[in-house]
Amino acid sequence: MVTKSRKSELSREIRRHASVYVLLIIPLVYYITFKYVPIFNGQIAFKDYMALDGVLGSRWIGLEHFRTFIQSYYFAELLRNTLMYSFGKLIFSLPLAILLAITIYESKRRRLSRTVQTLAYLPHFLSWVIMYGILLALLAPGDGVVNDIIKAFGGKPRAFLTSVETFPWIVIFSDAWKEMGWSAIIFIAALMGIDPALFEAAMVEGATSWQRVRYITLPSIRPVIVIVVLLRLGTILDAGFNQIFMLYSTPVLSVADIIDTWVYRQGLLEFQFGLATAVGLFKGAIGMLLILFTNRIVKRLGGSSLY
Amino acid sequence: MRKQMSTWLVLVTILALVAMPLFSQGAADKKASEGTTVIELWYGAAMTEAGPPPEDWVGFQIIKDKLNIDLKITALPSSEGDQDVKIQAAAAANNLPDLFMVRREVLARLVPQGLVAPVDDLYAKMPVRTANHYDEVSRRNAMFNGKSYGLSDPGAIIKNEGLLIRKDWLDNLGLAVPTTSEELFTVMRAFTFNDPDRNGKHDTWGYGSFEEIGSYEGWPGRRLQPIFGAFGAEGTWDMTEANAGLSVFKDGFYDAMVYLKRMVDEGVIDPNWMSYKKDDFRAAWKQGRFGIMREQNAAYAAQSNYAPFDQNFPDGQWIIIDPPKGPKGHASVGPYTANFRVYAISAKAAQAGKKDKIAELLEWMASDEGYYLLGWGVEGVNYTLDANGIPVAAGVPDPDYSFTGPKGQVVTQLRNMVFYNGDVELYARYPTYTTAVSKKQMSALDVLREMQTKKWTPAVGSNTLPTPNADLKRFYEQSLSEFITGKRTLNRANWNVWLEEFRKLGGQAWNDAGVASMKENNLLN
Repeated sequence: MVTKSRKSELSREIRRHASVYVLLIIPLVYYITFKYVPIFNGQIAFKDYMALDGVLGSRWIGLEHFRTFIQSYYFAELLRNTLMYSFGKLIFSLPLAILLAITIYESKRRRLSRTVQTLAYLPHFLSWVIMYGILLALLAPGDGVVNDIIKAFGGKPRAFLTSVETFPWIVIFSDAWKEMGWSAIIFIAALMGIDPALFEAAMVEGATSWQRVRYITLPSIRPVIVIVVLLRLGTILDAGFNQIFMLYSTPVLSVADIIDTWVYRQGLLEFQFGLATAVGLFKGAIGMLLILFTNRIVKRLGGSSLY
Repeated sequence: MRKQMSTWLVLVTILALVAMPLFSQGAADKKASEGTTVIELWYGAAMTEAGPPPEDWVGFQIIKDKLNIDLKITALPSSEGDQDVKIQAAAAANNLPDLFMVRREVLARLVPQGLVAPVDDLYAKMPVRTANHYDEVSRRNAMFNGKSYGLSDPGAIIKNEGLLIRKDWLDNLGLAVPTTSEELFTVMRAFTFNDPDRNGKHDTWGYGSFEEIGSYEGWPGRRLQPIFGAFGAEGTWDMTEANAGLSVFKDGFYDAMVYLKRMVDEGVIDPNWMSYKKDDFRAAWKQGRFGIMREQNAAYAAQSNYAPFDQNFPDGQWIIIDPPKGPKGHASVGPYTANFRVYAISAKAAQAGKKDKIAELLEWMASDEGYYLLGWGVEGVNYTLDANGIPVAAGVPDPDYSFTGPKGQVVTQLRNMVFYNGDVELYARYPTYTTAVSKKQMSALDVLREMQTKKWTPAVGSNTLPTPNADLKRFYEQSLSEFITGKRTLNRANWNVWLEEFRKLGGQAWNDAGVASMKENNLLN
C-alpha cells in the first residue's frame, strides 16, 4: 500500500516536472552512450585486443599493457612532464582567471570591462593551429617580434620554441593566455551571486577596495574555487594534448612529451588500442583517487567540498 | 494525454539508447535492392582544400548505370597522421569501408588482425588497370607472407625534388654555383652575411629547411638530404650490398652531423628551421628568407605556387643545381623509392562478396571513359582537348567549371585513383605558362625532368623496411636534434657513447631486422 502510494507520488512528481525531464533526455542519452557504455569496452585494457575477435573474444592478458606503460623507457619523464604542465597550468592559469574575474567585476567602467571580457574570451575560440602561428610570429628566432625587440636592445635572439628551458613556460603561459578569459566566466558568475548588501555595509564601515576583495569577494567565491580545483585534479593527467602536439618538436621532446602524446604515438599510431585504453584507465584511476583524497582533506579542514 | 506523453518519452529514450550504439557501429553491409551493390570508398582527395564531388556528379550515375554499383565516397583527412587515426579507429571497431586508401605502415598492422583481404586474384580480373598500374614492384609493395594485401597504384612521381639556389643572389655577390660541400658553406655564409638581396638588412640566410621526417628519410628529414648525401649518409638506410644497415651507424653520418652543427653554430641556416611546419617553410622562401633549399618541382614551379615569389621578387631566379660533393666525393639529392598509393579491401567486403564488383569498378576507372572522367571531368564542360590531345582548361564555356576552376576541380577529386603518371597527365598537370609579373616562361614539367637528371640514391623498398617502436624512434630523433641544438655535445667520444646506448635500446635489433628484410626481399643494390 505504502509502495503504491510512493509510486504514484513519484509519477505525479515526474508528470509535474515533465518539461525538466524532457530536457534531461539529451544529456542522459549522451552520458549513457558516450560515458557509460564505453566502460564496458574498457576491458580491452586487460586484453590483447583483436578487432575481429571483438571485445569479449580477445585474449585476456591481465596487466601486460599496464606493465608496458610503466616499464616504458620514458615513463618517469612522461609522468613528470604531464604533472609539470597540469600543475603549472593550475597554479598560473587559475589565479589569473580569478584575478581577471575580480577585475572585471570590480570595474566601475562597464563598457571597458565588457570590452576586456570579450577580448579575453576570444583566444579560447582559436584553435591551437592558429595559436601556433601566432606564437611563431611572436617567438621565432629569425624574425619573431620578441626576438626583434631583444636584438634592438643588443641581445642575442633565442629559439624559444625549440629550447628546453623556455618551452615549458611557453606552454603554460600560452595556455593561460588562451583560456584565462573563458575560465573566468565561472568566477564572474559566482561573483554575481554575492549579496551587494555585504559590499555596501563594508563601504559604510570604510573598507578599502583591497579589504573588500580580501574579506568579502574571495571568501564568497571560495566554494567555487574549491570545486574548480577539485575538478581540475580529476583530470590532472590530461595536460593538454592538442596544445603540446601542435607546439612540440624533436629538440624539446624531453620536456614536451606527455602521457597523451605518447599514447597517440604508441597506442593509436601503432594500433595498440589495448595499451591506449590501459593508459586511459590509469589516468582515470589516478584522477579519481586524487579527487577522493583532496575532497576528504578539504572537508576535514572545514571548507566546502565537491560532495 | 500526460500519461501518453510520458509513455512516448520513455519509448523515445529507450529507442535512442538502443539505436545510438548500433549507429555508432556504422552501417552494416548493404546490398541495395535490385542487385545494386553498395561500395563504400575512402579516398585520398586530389586537392585537400577543395570539397568532394557534388551529390549529382555524373560519375555516380554512370557507375550505377554501367556497373550496377552505388558508390559512396568519403575523403580521408589531408594529413597522414589523421588518415592513420581514422583508419585505425575504424579498424578497431571492425568497421572498415569496403575499399580504402591506406599507408603501407598501417596496412602492415591491419594484416595480422585479419581485417584486410588478399587481392592477388584481382590483378587478372583488371587487365587494363594492371598493365598501367601494377608492375612487379607494385605487387611486392603491399605483400605480406607471400600475399598481396593492397593494390599499390603509382603515387607521387619519383625524384621530383631538387636542390635549388637563388641565381640572382649568386650574381649579386659575384659567386659561382657551388659544387662541393665547402663551396656550399661559403655561399651559405655569403647569403647570410653579405646582404645578397641588397636591401641593407640582415634578413637572409643561406639554407632553408624544416623537419620533414619519413620512414626512409629519417632525421633531419628530406630537406637536408643533399647535405647528408655529400657525406654518403643520405636516408634512413644504406641499401648497398657492402654497407647495408642504418645510415646512423656510418662514419659519414657523424661527419654530416658535424657539418650541420657548423651550419647552425655559424647561423647560416634559417634559425626557424626546427619550428617551421611545411607551410611556414614555403611561405619563407617566397618571402626571400633563404637562398638554398630542397623543394618539390610543383611546389616550386606550378603557376599558383610560384606566383607569390614572382610578385615579391620579379628579378629573383631559382636554378636547380647538382648536389654538392663531399670530402670523399659523395653526392646525392637524397634516397628515392617507388611511391605508391595503396588501396586495400576490407575482409568484411570480401566476405560480403564485393571483391569482384570492386575489381569491376577499378577496371572501369582505368578505361578511357573512367580515366578522363575522373581525371579531368566531362569534355566540353570541365576540359577541352588541345591539338595534341592533351586536356586543357582553356575553351570551356564557364571557366569556373574547368578542371582547374573552383567549381570544376571538385569533380576530379578521385583522379589519383586513375592517374599513373603517364605523359597525358604530366602535360596536363604541368602546362608551360608565362609568369604574371616577370613574364618568365615556366614549366613544372621541365623542372621535374631536370631534377630527375641529378644524382639520387636508389633505395627502392626502403619504405617497406621495419620501423622502430615509438620510444626508440623518439630516442633516435630527439638525441640527434639535441646534438645539433647543443644540449648534447657533439664530439666523437659522445657520439660513440650515444651509438652504444642507441644499439642497446633497440637500434641494433632494428638495424638487423632491416638488413634481414633487405636480403629476404632482394632489395640490396
